[in-house]
Amino acid sequence: MSDHTAQPTVGIIVFPGSNCDQDTVLAIQALGARAVVLDYRLAELPPVDFLILPGGFSYGDYLRSGALAAAAPIMDAVEKSAASGMPVLGICNGFQILCERGLLPGALLPNPSGEFICQWQTVRVVNAPKGFETMADGTVLRLPIAHHDGSYRVAEGQLASLFEHGQVFLQYSDDKGGAHALVNPNGSVANIAGVSQGSVVGLMPHPERAMAQYLGSDDGRGFLAAWLGLRGNVEC
Amino acid sequence: MTRTYQLTFLVGLKSGILDPAGQATRNVLQHMEYAVQDVRIGKWIRVAIQADNAEHALALGQEMGQRLLSNPVMESFEVTVKAL
Amino acid sequence: MLTYMDVGLSFKENQEIVRLLRRHPNQLELGLFGALWSEHCSYKSSKPLLARLPHEGRFVVQGPGGNAGVVQLSYRWDLAFKIESHNHPSYVEPEQGAATGVGGILRDIVAMGARPIALADILKFGTDDKSQTLRRGIVEGIGDYGNAIGIPTVTGTVGYSEVYDANPLVNVLAVGLRARNVHVGADGARPGSVLILMGQATGRDGIHGASLLASQDFGEQTEEMRPTVQVGDPFMGKLLMEATLAIVGKGLADAVQDLGAAGLTSSTAELAYASQVGLIVDVSQVMCREPEMSAYEIMLSETQERMLVSIPLDKLKETLDLISDYELPYTEIGRVVEGDFLRIVKGDVVLADVPTGVLVGGCPRLPIPSDLSTLLGEELLEEETSIPLNPEWGYQVLGHPDCRERSAIYRRYDSTIGVRTVWGPDHDVAVLRIDDTDGVAIAVCAPARWAAVDSTAGGIGAVVNALSLVATQGAEPLGLTDGINAGNPDKPQAYRRMAGLIEGIAQAARVLEVPVTGGNVSLHNETRGQAIWPTAAIGVVARHPHPLSPVLDQVARPNLRICLLNPPKVSRLGGSVLQEILGITGSYPRLDLAGIKSSLHVLMDMAQKADQAGLAAVRSIGLGGTFVAIARSLMTPSRNVGVQLNLPADSLVFDLFNEMAGQWILYIEPDFLSKWEDACQARGVRLQDIGITTDSPDIVIKGGRTVTWPLQELWHAYRQGGDFIGR
Repeated sequence: MSDHTAQPTVGIIVFPGSNCDQDTVLAIQALGARAVVLDYRLAELPPVDFLILPGGFSYGDYLRSGALAAAAPIMDAVEKSAASGMPVLGICNGFQILCERGLLPGALLPNPSGEFICQWQTVRVVNAPKGFETMADGTVLRLPIAHHDGSYRVAEGQLASLFEHGQVFLQYSDDKGGAHALVNPNGSVANIAGVSQGSVVGLMPHPERAMAQYLGSDDGRGFLAAWLGLRGNVEC
Repeated sequence: MTRTYQLTFLVGLKSGILDPAGQATRNVLQHMEYAVQDVRIGKWIRVAIQADNAEHALALGQEMGQRLLSNPVMESFEVTVKAL
Repeated sequence: MLTYMDVGLSFKENQEIVRLLRRHPNQLELGLFGALWSEHCSYKSSKPLLARLPHEGRFVVQGPGGNAGVVQLSYRWDLAFKIESHNHPSYVEPEQGAATGVGGILRDIVAMGARPIALADILKFGTDDKSQTLRRGIVEGIGDYGNAIGIPTVTGTVGYSEVYDANPLVNVLAVGLRARNVHVGADGARPGSVLILMGQATGRDGIHGASLLASQDFGEQTEEMRPTVQVGDPFMGKLLMEATLAIVGKGLADAVQDLGAAGLTSSTAELAYASQVGLIVDVSQVMCREPEMSAYEIMLSETQERMLVSIPLDKLKETLDLISDYELPYTEIGRVVEGDFLRIVKGDVVLADVPTGVLVGGCPRLPIPSDLSTLLGEELLEEETSIPLNPEWGYQVLGHPDCRERSAIYRRYDSTIGVRTVWGPDHDVAVLRIDDTDGVAIAVCAPARWAAVDSTAGGIGAVVNALSLVATQGAEPLGLTDGINAGNPDKPQAYRRMAGLIEGIAQAARVLEVPVTGGNVSLHNETRGQAIWPTAAIGVVARHPHPLSPVLDQVARPNLRICLLNPPKVSRLGGSVLQEILGITGSYPRLDLAGIKSSLHVLMDMAQKADQAGLAAVRSIGLGGTFVAIARSLMTPSRNVGVQLNLPADSLVFDLFNEMAGQWILYIEPDFLSKWEDACQARGVRLQDIGITTDSPDIVIKGGRTVTWPLQELWHAYRQGGDFIGR
């Protein structure tokens, strides 16, 4: 989409068990973009400019988080669109689905505590991927996390390559941007909270839940606005 | 003289207990056009233990299975033994 | 061959069935009666007592009797809300028991056509080793279900005592939102409609859960009678919720009833009774998970995630297409006819045929003893009149399991999903945004220690406590829901304590003019003769006047005046945490409801426009007393503000640690103090100026000798418990 003045259309894919889809629709609409809900059974995508795989417990997170949804019919079309450069954003369970599908590197394992964790978290931008150009590296965002399987891992030897290729998007950090073990909520390798591959981006925190100060933070508004190429308060 | 034995446990929900994970997985496999009739999901546990002999190891395994590794309210288990 | 005893009925009840039917029930019918005449389904011991609760109110849309109570929030929205218990199942299988408790109350809300927007948990655990395992499983199970189905847990309360060792309590409040033009319940089924059972296929899960498990005491025998455990499936629960709400939203169903205790039996009988119609149910049409299930098993199975909907013929196709779109299993299991009976058939063969008036309405109730009011007289234990303060008590009370920080539990529940949570479980009261103008305040409490001796006093205290919490927000209470948990009602003492508890709730709700729109009674919380404290879990929903800017509960500035609103004329420590620490058993005071009513008015008026009232922060006083309320108001992230209090030395311990509900700690801009004094004087309410906030991070008491608690030390006690190592 080159014309930034036009209203972009965002396809939000709903799998059985997705539960952040409505929150995501509201967030996209609040930014002035058009949100279209897409059924997981679709073989082809309608005309959309962006795709979001929202959070939730697709198929109850049974077998492995994201594994069953990664086999849904619509994922063939998602894969095709991603290959041709369509921006795709996976949030929480969406991130897990993209990893299971192989559209993002790595895997999300159960938190080492074996427990679900819900809290506010600061993350810092390490390498703004394609689409997030307006977001300066080093920007610190306050966003909520809420997950059981958020411990990011990669195959042996892959970590250095992720950093080299600028694929590490977000790291759990303190509020000054320091990424160290004390602020790692879930044992993710190198505090990684989000990664990218081409036009595909995934993150565990929930930007769609941080759309207003009264909810605890409006950093998610800036985050999503940057991704959509819209004017937003990205000064954070 | 004791030696090391390997116990392998298969822990699963008793028949008749609803297995939501198995059910959802079965449905997706069916959507993928596999002629799957039923899926049950459980746990696989491997334990190395010192014992006098295989029977002794198996008896200890039965005990562990009942006391900790399975939830007797909902689960049953099988244990097999192998000398290491 | 089953006898009436096998299904949990008494000889007298069996006689009554024969008299009303004018014949002996067959085996299946006996099973139906066993379930519906059980304590759990019939409320036979508690119903005459519950009749004392006020049910009427300006905002009541639906009182008790439906799947949940409904109150009007605004011209656009109604709220459906209710507390349910799942105590016994959580003891048998903590994870699944707690999970299915969450699933069950959510289905109750959905069956009213409301979309659940919030959950709250009221938990009581024992203190022995086994209780640790139970606690872990219960917390895990609640999270597993609520997180996966995607409803935020926004508030809750947890308490500990050895009386809950073998009887942990798991009460869950759910709140749902319904557009004002939607009306659906179990009472609208019309002859000609088709009954659809959708969701999970029926298995042999939890048969006799209602009649035996939840309606008898635990003992060696019941340990052996464990039914097949019900397993919660939040994934199926989510699909079922969405499908049901879509059916209701499109106006396709004339009645909806969820399947809970006693499964198909209670859902069909209650739907028929509420709608004043007859039902013909064909068990051969019910989808079964296991082969060769008998009609008896099918009717009594408590398989979770099932919903019964009654659909007029002309809407049937659209409904079935919609259910199929959610990939939900369903079958047509029967139809609605003229009449007043429940007829169970298998193809052409009639298996059971009973009038619903007998089945649902015929259960003999336990009459209230004529001398009950005498029995409920105040039980007063003598208290000391003067106790010198030991500063260590401050740490011990703040660090007591009932007072200390609870994030280890609530962090495991998703509290931010739904983007409504302005205030979540790190506050005493939850604040939810509904839309640009509407908001809700939700509070729960279950101060069980207050009811340990004088249960009437405890019931009053619980209601006052809940209402005091939402009053801090200037929020108008719309309705109350009560979860009554008590021992074996057949024993005179346990009955009297349950009766006292309900009487206390009724008195407070009447005087304070807030209706009780529904709730739950869980009896037989008794193991080997040991009963729990009679425990009232109270939930309240209130209309928040300014949900995007809650009245603060913490202070971060020096030089604010600190006042007590409505401090008691005589402070008593009965039922307090401090008493427990000191090893004293005392009776909780009977609160002055008239004085509290006036104080509630003052606070509501002022808090509705907090900035014009100079109200910088406010906290309701409850467990741990004024001391805990003040300490918690100082636990900001920076913790750089303290307080200096002037309190008379002779009553210091009583003033700091009494837990008499209906008083508040206020932090007021100095310029506005006179405004508060005027407002209080106008209603004859006491306002006591007790000190000022300072920029020194500690709590300092002057008056007699000076006592100082450094905030950092208090913080450790609050976070790690009162007897943490290294202080």
